Amino acid sequence: MDEIASDNWQTASERAQRVMRHKPFDRLYHWFMAVCVIVLMATAFLPILGVKFEWLDIHWITGLVLTALILTHIVRALIFQDWRHMWIGFADLRELWRTAANLFGSRKEPPLPGKYDASQKLYHFVVAVVILAVVGSGLLMLLKIDTPLWNRNPYLLSADTWGVIYVIHGMAAMAIVAIFIVHLYFTLTPPGWYMLRAMIRGWISSKEYAQHYDAARWKP
Amino acid sequence: MNGEPLVEFFRYSRSIYGGSDQLIGAAWDLLPVFVGAAIAFILLHAALSALAKRRARRVP
Repeated sequence: MDEIASDNWQTASERAQRVMRHKPFDRLYHWFMAVCVIVLMATAFLPILGVKFEWLDIHWITGLVLTALILTHIVRALIFQDWRHMWIGFADLRELWRTAANLFGSRKEPPLPGKYDASQKLYHFVVAVVILAVVGSGLLMLLKIDTPLWNRNPYLLSADTWGVIYVIHGMAAMAIVAIFIVHLYFTLTPPGWYMLRAMIRGWISSKEYAQHYDAARWKP
Repeated sequence: MNGEPLVEFFRYSRSIYGGSDQLIGAAWDLLPVFVGAAIAFILLHAALSALAKRRARRVP
């Protein structure tokens, strides 16, 4: 993990050759979202696993914070950023195919991606679908509890509809646990360390840029 | 082998009005299945990556 913590190669010229990968706003968004997801998972699943505490208020308030974060992200990505960085196109499908060919031995070198590789885009797509499902169903479930902001109205929807909403919320929540575990694996194993550093400190080195990315597909 | 499913997918409760069971959510028995799927994915990816690295070392 040294490469995350240290500035060993920090000569002035090398510092100047750093490539900005994640701006401070995006890093803050990522880590706030991580905290919200961890709190939501803990307040959802610890009581189910037998750890009893007053989880409901923490859960719905954190859910509202996550909703606000996601809305901010959507607005920022669509208006102020280039959303095409995350769009899955033909080049990404070809890249996925070549990555699989490399993994299975029929291709010597893995392909070089743009700012995000095809598997990261696919991961983002899955996360987007699952998070929107859990947030959408969670917002509806707020109708079933009294809060300082509104009174409960569980009769707005039929019992069958509530059942479906609870199934969506539960399934999506369990999918988030699986997604979170896979995310930890890619982040905490050595090939992902430089990306973890980029998510903490913002930059990758010019050497890492040349080594891991196709300059024709990502010009920082 | 008494014909019961290995894993329940949904939770039901008996409706207070009688009649059929009421769907109330996903079954929490599925949580270990999701965790297991994530671990299986990680093991498969780690094995394939290790194989790819070994092949890359062998080929000059």
